Amino acid sequence: MAEHHTDKEVKELGAILLNVGALLMVSGASTARIRNTITRIATSFGYNADMLISQRTLMLSLYDEDNNYFFNSLKRTSPHGVNFTVLSGISKMSWQVLEEKWTVKQINEEVERLVALPHYSRWIVLVLVGLAGASFCRVAGGTTIDMLVVFIATFSGLFIRQETLKKGFNPYMCIYFASFTASFIAGPLVRLGTGHMQEHAFATSVLFLIPGVPLINSFSDMIEGNSQNGLIRGLNGFIISFAIALGMLTSMLL
Amino acid sequence: MDWLPLLEKGIWFGLAAIGFGVLFNVPKRTLLPIYVMAAIGGLSKVFLMHFEINVILATFVGATAIGFLSIWFAHVRHAPPPVFAIPAVIPMVPGIFAYRMMLGLMHLSGKIDPTTFDHILSETVNNGLKVMFILMALAGGVGVPLLITRKESAKDIKIKRIGFPRG
Repeated sequence: MAEHHTDKEVKELGAILLNVGALLMVSGASTARIRNTITRIATSFGYNADMLISQRTLMLSLYDEDNNYFFNSLKRTSPHGVNFTVLSGISKMSWQVLEEKWTVKQINEEVERLVALPHYSRWIVLVLVGLAGASFCRVAGGTTIDMLVVFIATFSGLFIRQETLKKGFNPYMCIYFASFTASFIAGPLVRLGTGHMQEHAFATSVLFLIPGVPLINSFSDMIEGNSQNGLIRGLNGFIISFAIALGMLTSMLL
Repeated sequence: MDWLPLLEKGIWFGLAAIGFGVLFNVPKRTLLPIYVMAAIGGLSKVFLMHFEINVILATFVGATAIGFLSIWFAHVRHAPPPVFAIPAVIPMVPGIFAYRMMLGLMHLSGKIDPTTFDHILSETVNNGLKVMFILMALAGGVGVPLLITRKESAKDIKIKRIGFPRG
C-alpha cells in the first residue's frame, strides 16, 4: 500500500509536523501542548506520531496503524521568541485539521499565513510595556513620581533590548544591557527627584524583563512529567534572572 | 475601611498584564480578557492580604481564579488558556521581594559584620523563600483547573460542570 503518492504525502506531512512543533516550541508552548498538537494532527491523517521534544531539537517518527515505518526526521528550532498569536493560531488550526479533514497543503498555507501575521508596532509595544512598568510600581506602592520614572526607565530599557537584539548580541547579554539601562535611569532619577532612594522605582524598573514564560512553562512541564524540559526551562529562567540582577548590580556600583 | 486604594490597584494590575500581553504578541481579541483576568486575580490577592492572609496563599488563590477564568475565556475567545493566563499572572510576580533578596545576597557576599550577619541572613532567606513559593503558587494556581478536571485539553472541559462535581 506504500504507493509513490502516499510516500510523498507522508514526507510532506512529517516535514510540516516538525515545522509546527518547532514553531510551537519557539513561541512558548509547554511540552505537553506540543506533543498533543502534533499527535492530534497526525491522528487526523491516520498516523501514530512518536516524538522526542527538547528546547533546541525535535525528533519525530510517523507510523501507520500496522506499525509500518514511514517517516523519521530531526529538526532544529530557531532562536526562541515568545509569540502567542502563533501559539493560538496553531492550536485553533489543529482542531480544524481534525474536524474539517484538512489536507497537508491547507496546513502549509495556514502555517505560512500565521508566521507572516504582523506583530504589534514597535512604538505601541514600547509605550504599553512602559505603562506596565509604571503599573508594577504602583501596585508595589510607588508614588506618581516613581511611576513616571519607571515609565521612562522601562521604555529606555526595552528600547535598548530591542536594539541590542537587532545587533545580534547574546540574548542574555541583551537582558543584561536592558536591566542595566533601566535601573541606571530609575536609580539616580528618583534620588534627584525626591531626595531619597526609593526602592519601589529601582526594583520595579527591571520587571519587564522577568522570564514569566520560561518559569511558568518550566513548572507545567515538571508536573506533567517532562522533567528534563522543565529543568532546562527553569535553568533558562534562572540565567535570565541572574542577568537582570547583574545589570542592577552594575548600576548600583556606579 | 479604605476600599478605594485597594480597588484602584485593579486598574494597575490590568495595565501591567496588557503590557506583557503585547510583549508576548497575543492576539488582539484576547487583550480585554487579559485585562479583566489580571484585575480580578490581582484584586483577590490584595483583598485576601488585606485580611491578614499569608501572601503565598493569597497569590495562590488569585492565580487559581485566573486559571479558571482562562478556561472560560479560552472557550469564548478561541485561544489556548496559557495565552490568557501567563500575561495575567505576571503582575503578581514578587518583584520587591526578589529585589530585597538580591540586595541581601550582595550584603552577605561583601564585608561580613558578625553582629548584623544573622539579621541579614534571616531576612534574605525569608525573602528568597517567599519569592520561590510565590512563583510556585503562580504556576501551580494556573494549572489547577486542568489538574482537577483531569483533561488534556481545555476544549474537553464542559463549562457548566466546572465547580459542580457530582458524585
